[in-house]
Amino acid sequence: MAAIPDRFSRLAALKLTRGAALRPEKAVLRAPDQEDVLVQILGAGVARNHFGEHLAIRNWYSTPEYMEPSAVAIDLLSRTRDESIAGKTRTVLEDPEKWLFLDTETTGLAGGTGTYAFLVGLAWWDAGGLQVEQFLMRDFNEEYSLLQELASHVQERPVLVTFNGKSFDWPLLENRFAMTRSVAAPKLTAHLDLLHPARALWKLRLGSVRLVELERRVLDARRLGWHRDDDVESALIPQHYFDYLRGGPAEPLVGIVRHNQMDLRGLAALFGKINAMLSESAGILDECESLDLFGLSRFLQRRGDNARAQSACAQALAIGLPADVRPRAQRELALMAKRRGEYDRAAEIWEEMIVDSPDDVHACEQLAIYYERHGKDIPRAMEYAKLGVAKLKRHRTASLRGLRDPYFVARCARQENDFKERLARLERKAQPSSPAQHRGAPEAAEPKASRALW
Amino acid sequence: MPDSLAVRRAGVSNAITRVHEVLDAFAERDHRGEILTTLRHFPAREAQWADFPSWVNANLVSAYNAKGVCRLYTHQAAAAEAVHAGKNVVIVTPTASGKTLCYNLPVLNAVLENSDARALYLFPTKALAQDQLAELHDLNQRLENCFGVFTYDGDTPADARKSIREKGHVVLTNPDMLHTGILPHHTRWTRLFENLRYIVLDELHTYRGVFGSHLCNVLRRLRRIARFYGREPQFICCSATIANPGKLASRLLEAEVEVLDSNGAPAAEKTFVFYNPPVVNRALGIRRSYINESARVAQEFLKHDLQTIVFANSRLHTEILLTYLQQANPRLPGKAETIRGYRGGYLPNERREIERGLRDGKIRGVVSTSALELGIDVGSLDTVVMAGYPGTIAATWQRAGRAGRRSGSSCAVLVASSAPLDQFMVRHPDYFFGRTPEHAFIQPDNLEILINHLKCAAFELPIAPDEKFGDVDLPDLCARLAEAGFLHLAGANYHWTHEAYPADTISLRSVTSDNFVIVDITGQPNVIGEIDFPSALVFVHEKAIYLHGGLQYHVEHLDFKERKAYVKRVYVDYYTDAVRYTQVRVLEVAASESFTSAASLTSFTSRSHGDVLVRSQVVGFKKIKFFTNENIGDGKLELPENEMHTTSYWITLERPLLESLPFSVSERQSGMFGLLHALESVATLLLMCDRRDLGTAVGERPPAPGSENDSIVAMRMEDAVSANAPEFFVPNLYLYDAYPGGIGFSEPLFRAHDLLMKTRELIAYCECKQGCPSCVGPAGDLAPRAKEAALAILDRLCA
Repeated sequence: MAAIPDRFSRLAALKLTRGAALRPEKAVLRAPDQEDVLVQILGAGVARNHFGEHLAIRNWYSTPEYMEPSAVAIDLLSRTRDESIAGKTRTVLEDPEKWLFLDTETTGLAGGTGTYAFLVGLAWWDAGGLQVEQFLMRDFNEEYSLLQELASHVQERPVLVTFNGKSFDWPLLENRFAMTRSVAAPKLTAHLDLLHPARALWKLRLGSVRLVELERRVLDARRLGWHRDDDVESALIPQHYFDYLRGGPAEPLVGIVRHNQMDLRGLAALFGKINAMLSESAGILDECESLDLFGLSRFLQRRGDNARAQSACAQALAIGLPADVRPRAQRELALMAKRRGEYDRAAEIWEEMIVDSPDDVHACEQLAIYYERHGKDIPRAMEYAKLGVAKLKRHRTASLRGLRDPYFVARCARQENDFKERLARLERKAQPSSPAQHRGAPEAAEPKASRALW
Repeated sequence: MPDSLAVRRAGVSNAITRVHEVLDAFAERDHRGEILTTLRHFPAREAQWADFPSWVNANLVSAYNAKGVCRLYTHQAAAAEAVHAGKNVVIVTPTASGKTLCYNLPVLNAVLENSDARALYLFPTKALAQDQLAELHDLNQRLENCFGVFTYDGDTPADARKSIREKGHVVLTNPDMLHTGILPHHTRWTRLFENLRYIVLDELHTYRGVFGSHLCNVLRRLRRIARFYGREPQFICCSATIANPGKLASRLLEAEVEVLDSNGAPAAEKTFVFYNPPVVNRALGIRRSYINESARVAQEFLKHDLQTIVFANSRLHTEILLTYLQQANPRLPGKAETIRGYRGGYLPNERREIERGLRDGKIRGVVSTSALELGIDVGSLDTVVMAGYPGTIAATWQRAGRAGRRSGSSCAVLVASSAPLDQFMVRHPDYFFGRTPEHAFIQPDNLEILINHLKCAAFELPIAPDEKFGDVDLPDLCARLAEAGFLHLAGANYHWTHEAYPADTISLRSVTSDNFVIVDITGQPNVIGEIDFPSALVFVHEKAIYLHGGLQYHVEHLDFKERKAYVKRVYVDYYTDAVRYTQVRVLEVAASESFTSAASLTSFTSRSHGDVLVRSQVVGFKKIKFFTNENIGDGKLELPENEMHTTSYWITLERPLLESLPFSVSERQSGMFGLLHALESVATLLLMCDRRDLGTAVGERPPAPGSENDSIVAMRMEDAVSANAPEFFVPNLYLYDAYPGGIGFSEPLFRAHDLLMKTRELIAYCECKQGCPSCVGPAGDLAPRAKEAALAILDRLCA
């Protein structure tokens, strides 16, 4: 008891916060034959280049089947709002031989220079099916050779297709390349990230657009004979790898490699599905659920294809949408019509909305505007404005009784105020009284009114 | 005292006359000469000029000329030359002496000569970076926007960050952002790091204690990353006047640093006044509120149309003073407010507006926290009023420097509070005026701090075995970190193997990043405040009455796991006082020295420093009635024990010394606690640290260092001074670093030979009869002769 505590007992302060699954790093030297175990159970080969070696795992799958990317789909997926694509890029982009699906498994999600991609999975179409090639580093000193291998594959196929790779996988790999100071990050001709299209298309229906979820409910994995019954939980992947580094079992790595294979196949299949939907190939839209159609409409609208967006939206409404989504679809559809100058068509939809959803204020506002400017029916415009005010008042009292959301209350107040201003203006229009007022008032009100109107 | 007001009035400007009128008015009220304890004049100083060095780019010279800078002050020229010669420099000059030019000139010159060159500026606060940004933008406009200058901090929008990384020639940031946002993502900053020429550290003196120790490690990481990209950047530092700027700089940079401390800037004539609020109860040593008195002084200046800045030491006091002054100077109809507040919580735009208002004179008075103490440009004001001693001599001069850049004359008034330091200062003006300001200490090799940064370093770049990182056995530390699962040796290097992002959990500023949130659950749950871990055990234990904003809350539940305290609003006539035991055990004595002067008694009375283990536990609480202070109930608590290894300074009082004191046991022991309280006050003064950085305890000296012994007695002061208290046999009085691992205060305290003398002066010159909060602290309330006993002990130590 009398010993002076080791100064390093202060290191007790570093106690790991995470579970006890850690293996102490003590002279962890795997016997050479154990390395062979990993090669064997993964069915891997040792890949070598002048930086050293790493493991490579090759597999060919008949599903998903090759799907020719349609020009329409490429256009929609690759277009960022104001970017026009150079002709040369387009040629590469339209050549499926140049496409490379990519997904990584990493030592964490934090990003930054201390997160490693220890498994890099690549896939491309080959012989009507999917060729998958994965690179695994058995330890950190195999990273350079792995990156070198990755670089040469990307150079060969410079169109990258990923799921959330634009904000996660690729920047992380770019970091890794930068950290080597010797292997340059390859230049991409294009990077198609399917996360955003997938979110636009299916978030409404599925709530979550995790790849596993999409596989199950959009890609119909069961029909393809895919299963993830013994899948590794994503959150445990870094820990499995750290354990392996410290001399732990190799078996969990098999699960991780398979997980990555499934993700790559899912990614390729997802592309097929999105490709089909965007190019409206043979009746696919007729099989679509109405929510997906509305999602498609929103995606098309965002990418500037208004004509198809409108028809998809109309189709979704025709099939029938759940009560909570229907008003949103109507509203979008009406606004699209309005933007195209089809005011009467838009007004029809708004009238429908008022019948369908008694609480909707937006339609009242739009109709008041419509009748003031286009219908030239001041009394009706006033009627709708008054209806809007009444609805807002009801909203506010209801909100005051229940949860007090100050932003909601403030918004209601603002809208109410707008309605009242509009009413006052309409009133003046309805009964022009003394000539003096007639001259003065409307002119003064005009600039403000025009802003509030459209 | 009024004699000293014999001020020269011939040939002075209007402002000076008005300042003197105000001072005369104060002097008239001060019949006994107790209020204006000191009044010093500092004559004006002429500027010393030098030309722009010949190597400076002609465009840059004309840009400065266009701003009205046609010649440099000598120290600016000297700084530019030293930087040009490739040296690391630290420039030490007072507020408002044009120090920004000292670094902007060489940096911009380098950028103009080579458009690839990059520089990183570090400021301790975001506001300072903003201020510098404005200055650099102005220069840039005159140089046809030929370089990119940006701030990069938590407020930088995400979409702007990418272009800043590419196009920023000069990037203005703070140590925290460097630590969590830049270094762990250095690959995105390749452009900057590959071309990094200069690193500017402004307000160097703020990097002391824990913050400084962290910064030193952040700089180690920064240099490491720069080396990875093949750069050895040069450092340009600026510091306010402290005693050891060169040593602090070379400790922080771990490199040789040239100190440039001759100031060539002109200074206006200045009057410095110490103002002690009048005594209202002599026996208890109670003075009139210093806040009210500060408002009164400030109001007097404002009435004479002198533009005034008032410094308060807390946000709350800022608001109170602001209210007083705004009431006294109501806004005229149709005019803007002439008295404004300025502190951290204000929005950037509002602050810019206030700074502008001060510069163009539309705002006549401003009440500020230390936010305006640092180098934000608000032009010069006529007078400065400090409500309370700012804590350090350096900060006091910084604040005083806010007055008198162009008005020709200025006045700074320090209004003392009844805190021991304040009272010491106003009674010992020579200490303040005669002494070089405080030393700043850091302890970058504090194991706890160093290891945290070592983790960050490993995350940023694998650690090679032959690297240096502070003065530690790196391979051994890495091996231990690997054993703990943080690192993994692959090939020759240690790599980071943890999912977490280490920088996220390490805060550079607070002592521990762990804190409790206080949630008011009276109605809708609402977070009303936060409290650090050690204080939480004392103030928000279950059943405690927690005071917040003058309101009482009952602590319903303390959730340890979630670090939350749930409180409910109550109205009761009592408060709670936690019963805390603190036990200190000596682990290792680093050095020890007997008080030879006490030879008449014994040679065992000694002072020492070394490693200690501090254990503290809150074991219960008392309910105490307001006003009467009756104890109306107790409660027991089962809270975890807090244990920390740290370093300590201590005084051992031997038996014969104690027995020679003509006091009862309880009086003697109250004297020890009183002495310790005063020692702590003086120690914070000497160390330039916050009172919270030091802890105190009295305990029985164990028979031999390091041995566990049942007889170690830890006693609370309240118990030690009671009539039938057990007696310490050979007590130790401990002053320990309140940070795990110690922050380097113990050794300087051990070496500070004037510690005891100053403590004696503090107690002896205090005007109270039996001890008050200004000298021996609460011991004075509990035992009638605490002050006498403390003095008697000191007499024997210093004899």
